[in-house]
Order: sequence, then C-alpha cells, then structure tokens
Amino acid sequence: MARLENLLAALFGSIFLGLSALIAIEVVVRKVFGVSLQGADELGGYALAVGSTLAFTLALFGRNHIRVDVLHERLSVTWQAALNWLSSLLMAGFAALLGVLAIGVIRDTLDFQSTAQTSWATPLIYPQSVWYVGQTVFMLAAAAIALRASYLLARGRLAQLNADLQPRSVKEEVDEELHDLAARQEGARS
Amino acid sequence: MMVAYPLLAFAIMLAMILTGLPIAVAMAAVGIVGGVLAYGLPFLESVSPVVWGVQNDNLLTSVPLFVLLGEILLRTGIADRMYRALAMWMGRMPGGLLHSNIGTCALFAATSGSSVATAATVGTVALPSLQSGGYSMRHSLGSLAAGGTLGIMIPPSVNLIVYGSLTSTSVGQLFLAGVIPGLLLTALFMGFIAISSLRGEPRREVAVPLAQRLHALLDLVPPLVIFLIVMGSIYSGLATTTESAALGVIAAMGFAAKGRGLNWPTLRTCFIQTARVSGMILLIITAAFILNLTISLTGVAETMSAWVASLGLSATSFLLALIVFYLVLGMFMDVLSMQVATIPITFPMAMALGIDPVWFGIFVVLMCEVGLITPPVGMNLFVVHGIRPDNGTMADVIRGALPYVVIMLGFALLLIAAPSIALWLPEQMQ
Repeated sequence: MARLENLLAALFGSIFLGLSALIAIEVVVRKVFGVSLQGADELGGYALAVGSTLAFTLALFGRNHIRVDVLHERLSVTWQAALNWLSSLLMAGFAALLGVLAIGVIRDTLDFQSTAQTSWATPLIYPQSVWYVGQTVFMLAAAAIALRASYLLARGRLAQLNADLQPRSVKEEVDEELHDLAARQEGARS
Repeated sequence: MMVAYPLLAFAIMLAMILTGLPIAVAMAAVGIVGGVLAYGLPFLESVSPVVWGVQNDNLLTSVPLFVLLGEILLRTGIADRMYRALAMWMGRMPGGLLHSNIGTCALFAATSGSSVATAATVGTVALPSLQSGGYSMRHSLGSLAAGGTLGIMIPPSVNLIVYGSLTSTSVGQLFLAGVIPGLLLTALFMGFIAISSLRGEPRREVAVPLAQRLHALLDLVPPLVIFLIVMGSIYSGLATTTESAALGVIAAMGFAAKGRGLNWPTLRTCFIQTARVSGMILLIITAAFILNLTISLTGVAETMSAWVASLGLSATSFLLALIVFYLVLGMFMDVLSMQVATIPITFPMAMALGIDPVWFGIFVVLMCEVGLITPPVGMNLFVVHGIRPDNGTMADVIRGALPYVVIMLGFALLLIAAPSIALWLPEQMQ
C-alpha cells in the first residue's frame, strides 16, 4: 500500500515538475526569441487530466476528500459506522459514474476520430486512454474501500470500520504537520 | 420553473454535507439526480464531455502547481527561515512578535500554502517565545488564527482560481483585485495589535545584533522573488496564470536546491501532500461542474435571478443579506466547500443586480476568510488550539479571534461602500 502510494506520488510529482520546466522554457523562449513553441498549454491540460485521476486516488487513500465532521463527532459509534459506510459506498458510486462517463468520452473520440483543436492536432485518444486508465484505478480503489467497509459492517467490526474511514480531523492534520516540522528542524541542525 | 425546486435541492445538498457525507459526492448527487429528473437518462450523455472538459482545463492546471509551490517552500525550510527573519525585525514594534505572526502569515500567503501548515509552522516557532516573552496567550492565538486567513485573499490564491473557473471570470484580474484588500486587511490587523498592546503588556525581547539581523534579511529574498515572479509575470502580461505558477515552481526548486533542502524524502512528502490537496479540490470542482451543467440546462440561474429581481432588493441590501448568510454558513461549513456550493446560486443573482464579477469574487473570498475563524467550525481555530503549548480552553482561542472577525466584517462593509479597493488595481491593467 505504501509502495503504491509512493509510486503514484512519484508519477504525479514528475508530471507537474516536468510540466513546470517545459512551461518555463516556453515562456523564456517566447519572451527572448519571440517564437512560441506551442503545445505547453495543451500538455498542461493533459497533465491535469492524468494528474487529477492520480490525485483523486491519493486523496482517497489519505481520507482527504472533505467531509464536514461537526455532527459526525457527536454521534454514537453505530451511527458513525453507518455514515462512514454510506460515505464509502457513495464515493464508490461517484467514482464508478466518472468511470462510466469516461467510457462515453472515449467512445465519442473513437467515433469521430477527434483531434485536439490546436496546431499539433493531437489525436485525443492518446491522452484520453491514459486518463481513462487513471479514472479506472480511482474507480477500483474506491470500490475496494467500499467492499472492505461493507465486510467490516457485516461482521459487526464497527470500531475498525470507524478507525479506517472516519473523516480526517484537524487534530490529525496538525499532528502530522508538527511531526514533519520536527523532522525538518532536526535536518536543519545536523 | 418554481423557485422552490432549486431552494429545496440546495437544502438537500446542505443537509447531506452537514451530516458528514463527502462534499463532492453530495454536490454531484444533487446535480445528477436533478438532471435525470428533468431530462431522463440521456442527460448523462451530456455530462461526459463536461468531465473531460474540467479535467483538461488549462487554467485548473494552476491548482496543483500553486499547491506544489507552497509545499516546496514549506517542506524545504524556506518558510521557517522567513519567519525567523521577520521576528527579528518586527519584535520592536508595539505588539512586537504578534506582528511577525501576521506578517509571516501574509508573506507566506503570498507564496501560497495550506493554512494548517502555515499556522503549525509559525505557531510552533512563535508560541514558546511569545509565552516566555510575556505575551497574553489569547492575543497570540488570535493573531495566528487571523493571520492564517490572509492566505486565501492575497494571491496566488486557490480559492480565487476556483471562483474564476466556476464563473468564467479572469483569474489574472481576480489576483490583482486581491492584492490591495489583502494588504489593507493585513494593515488593519497590525493596527489593531499595535493599539491593543499600547496599554503596555510586560514584554522581554531578546536584542539581536544588527549584523545578524541584516544577514537574516537574505532569508526574505526567496519568498519575495517568487511573489514578484508570479505576480509580475501575470501583471505584465508575460504569462498566463498557469504559466506563472510553473515559473514559481521552478524558482522555488532553484532556491530549495541552493539551500540544500532538496532530497527524496522531502520531495516525496511535497508530492503526496500536493496530490492529496489537489485531488480533494479537483474532485469537488468536477462535481461542481456537473451541478453547474444541471443548473444551466434547467434554467435555475435565470429563475433565481428573476426571483431576486422580483424582491426589489437593491444591490447593497442583497450584499448585506449575503454577509449574514455567509457568516452563518461559515460557522458550520468548510470554506472551500461553502464557496463552491453557493456560487452557482449567488453568482447569477449578483450579476442580475449589476454587481461586478471580479469584485464579487473578492467579497465571497473575504466571507470565506471570516468562516475560517468563526466557531463552532472554524478551521484555523482548531489548528491554533492544536498547537498551543499551554492547556487553555477553546473558548480562549475563540475570544482571541473575535476582534478579527469584527474587523473583517467591518472591512466587508467598507468594500461594499468603496468597491474600488478591489477594482482599482485590475482597472490599471486594462
């Protein structure tokens, strides 16, 4: 799990660092030589499409998809479990819907042999296939989490269910930041 | 269409959000169900291009880039050094170190970054020295919580990008419009601190030699240069919003490499955090665009505009009502979600009353800032409460932040009375 997270993060980071470098070159060349390389804009769009599907999945693993916990924390364990389960189910439903909608996009692209409205006229099927794979990974991850939540609910392991899926609290985030800060200062001193 | 339907749908969405279901899901569900009820299953076919369109939108590419920029500055220690430098210089003003809280938060805000991370960084370094310096804990916590809100107004601001993308308003103009209100608000906060500490609290500052203080100025160079690159390239028309973000990222990587802050564990943390935060934001935006499609197809916007026109409200009374609306909603909701969930309804109404779209963006973001420090759910209140070194109560933090809420509400009225506070700078660019 941690390795999958690392892999996705490295992929995500490389996409956007690479994109930044490309854009920086494009801006400098445009300013200094007055020629546009074209395409950095277009690539930016594709980077976002692929990057956002990776980001959806990483946010899912980190329980970052925001849920308001003002009521949640006042409920009994049973109600919390019910809500956490329902949330995982609805999230899986939304991810599945995005997956199905992505199929619709791919089908249209294949039917019309669509190309990008740019000077490159990239056949859209190239970036869209990668995007589709990312969307599918998100769908499968959300489904797996919902299945596990259902299993835990069926076995009555509510405490485990709540521990796995409760909304992320500010306290958790603060603790993480403090931990990271301590590590940074340790590094700065050595 | 009757105005009751959209209001009912909005109420259902709010109820789903407040019971703790994922916000993106609540918005998408209302959008999809509404669309299918109105047009049947073929509605789904029109959603497909919207989903690809949002995720392929070059403007939104700036969201992960700005988040990454803030992460690099934070995790490689550039932000930490900036605070120490400011603390050395601002310690002598009335209110002393409290100014450096506001100042660092404002400067950090100007280079983007999460409010949790800002408050945690500044707070951990600041609170122990504030405590030993004899500052009242309540004032210290209040200044930290309030300083942390400046981030979403002073550009680059993810909240302004989200507003621009949802309403098709120029983000370059919004960024320029945020500069003066952001700085003015910072000045008001500092003025309040200076006045309230004139009554003389016992303080013991450690005198720092001038040479050391001058040397520390070097630590302010990276954040200032990055701010100038980002805003300068937008202002001069050299780069688009997304391009300016990319330039900022490259500059930050350069400074980080120079300060020997770059290594794989640090980068990995930056990447994971950026992915998580942008994934959360982008999923909400995707859902918002699905909801927007339903709203525009079914003519909800026109219905709401006609309704607000039929009430015979003036623009001013509408805005005053909105202040109350956002104040109450902000007490219970996360502010980004509040912004995304309400704009599809409030924006067309504001346009119907002839309110400037750029100005309205600044107004909405200001109300979001208030939402960050109003109890019971004020993100920044929880954050500073989580990092305080003593065992005080939450009520203490709330009371410390209260004066700033009053200042912000006063500022909202000022913004209504003098719209040029926001609009002057963008008008200079045209």
